[in-house]
Amino acid sequence: MTELFQYVPGSSPLHRMNPITKIGLTLCVCVAAFLTDNLFYLLGLLLFDLMIGVVGGCAKKAFSVLKGLVKVSVFLFILQALFVRRGTKLFWIITDEGLLTAAGVVLRLIVVCLPLTLVLSVTQVSDISGAMVQILRIPYAYAFTFAAAIRFIPQFMEEMSGIMEAQTARGVEFDTKNVFKKLGMILPLCAPLLVTSVRKSGATATAAEIRGFELRKADSGYKKYGFGAVDLAALLIAAALIAGAVLIP
Amino acid sequence: MIRAENVSYGYTGLARTVEDLSFHIKAGEFAAILGENGAGKTTTVKLIDGLLLPTSGKMFVNGLDTAKTRVSERAKQVGFLFQNPDRQICRNTVRDEIAFSLRAVWGKKEGERIEERTEEMLSLFGFTGDEEPFSLSRGLRQQAALMSVLAVKPSVLILDEPTTGLDYRECTRIMEFIRELNEKEGTTVVMVCHDMEVVLDYAKRALVMAGGRLLADGDVHDIFRDAALMEKASLLPPQIVRVASALGGEFAEADDAETLASLAAAAHERRKRA
Repeated sequence: MTELFQYVPGSSPLHRMNPITKIGLTLCVCVAAFLTDNLFYLLGLLLFDLMIGVVGGCAKKAFSVLKGLVKVSVFLFILQALFVRRGTKLFWIITDEGLLTAAGVVLRLIVVCLPLTLVLSVTQVSDISGAMVQILRIPYAYAFTFAAAIRFIPQFMEEMSGIMEAQTARGVEFDTKNVFKKLGMILPLCAPLLVTSVRKSGATATAAEIRGFELRKADSGYKKYGFGAVDLAALLIAAALIAGAVLIP
Repeated sequence: MIRAENVSYGYTGLARTVEDLSFHIKAGEFAAILGENGAGKTTTVKLIDGLLLPTSGKMFVNGLDTAKTRVSERAKQVGFLFQNPDRQICRNTVRDEIAFSLRAVWGKKEGERIEERTEEMLSLFGFTGDEEPFSLSRGLRQQAALMSVLAVKPSVLILDEPTTGLDYRECTRIMEFIRELNEKEGTTVVMVCHDMEVVLDYAKRALVMAGGRLLADGDVHDIFRDAALMEKASLLPPQIVRVASALGGEFAEADDAETLASLAAAAHERRKRA
């Protein structure tokens, strides 16, 4: 699970692309997903997401994320199908419109979440924050906060699995099938996770300060993030995706 | 008591961390598992506790196969003190922390017995019980974690680098308590430790690991005196053993400061008389 947010080294066109272009392309996929109501177009966007994974050399990861999202989506699909009562009744309380809305919501969720994970697979977090400061002129403190938040996700997950392991050693059985019992067991673990996280954040802040965090400016980074042909192609694709979402009924 | 039969383990997608491990630790022994980082020490103790299950081979604790024993059943027999006490502590007071362990193993119905045992542990370690665990020092947090582990009276105690980050006084307090437990109660202790001085002071047996395999298993003094083995396992013997080895002759057998001092005094006396 922790590998989901980890960088996959490579030299694909996506790896070479400017981090801002990658974020822009991701945002455009998200916007297109919310602009369209066409299920086939959403399916097309999903295929595009998977294609990004293949081109970026992280197809295995893309399919693994897709598998995880499908699991979450089943629950969401059932809820939507049960609560949307518009349209023609098919059976029990399920309507045709309910099923179509549920499919749309689920597809939209997958289409939006997938590229966000893939961007982190083909871009180093430091490059995202560096490009944000250098190109978008976002103050370093905000870019650093963003980068630190992403970097902490796998650490938190690792910490949580360590805490659960320690509790298992004490005789706590997490493998119960009762959801409420399981929730009751996991909730107390938020305390050690929170304490460890606060301690880690404090240590990171101190480490950043003693390395001259306050002195950092937009031109402090040694890496330069230029735009090339691959970025132009990506921006054209992004524009086409939005246009498609607006024009295709 | 603890029997490993050709145990191997590999984390998903990685090479085997532990390979063909076989050993037998008898009841009441105090054994240390030594080796450099990545040697497979922590994996081995997790296999003993049943937190990890062997990919091949079998691990038995008190005659029970860890792969076939329930978590709560294992926790009754094996106590595990982690290097980082913050992972174990999850309650707001030390009293609740001890009771949490007892409830997980004994069940909620044993309220009176749990209360009694909690108070017993608190008075043994000199805590009031109302202390907030996360505001205590690292050493006291480690003691709180140890209290909750020992409260269930396990017959096997596993210590994964228990002295890391502790000062001399805190380290001695914890280790002396464990020694007493081992000698008086007969609790079997298996300890992973990088501090060779602590190992020499407390452990009686040492299992040396390298690259996931067991390199040597024997008396801790014999292990430390084997320079070739120490070199192979990338370990540095305790200073007193190195001094004794460097002096050679009758001094080579000394493995504590008192013995070395008395041997030196005797040699000095002999020289004076001559």
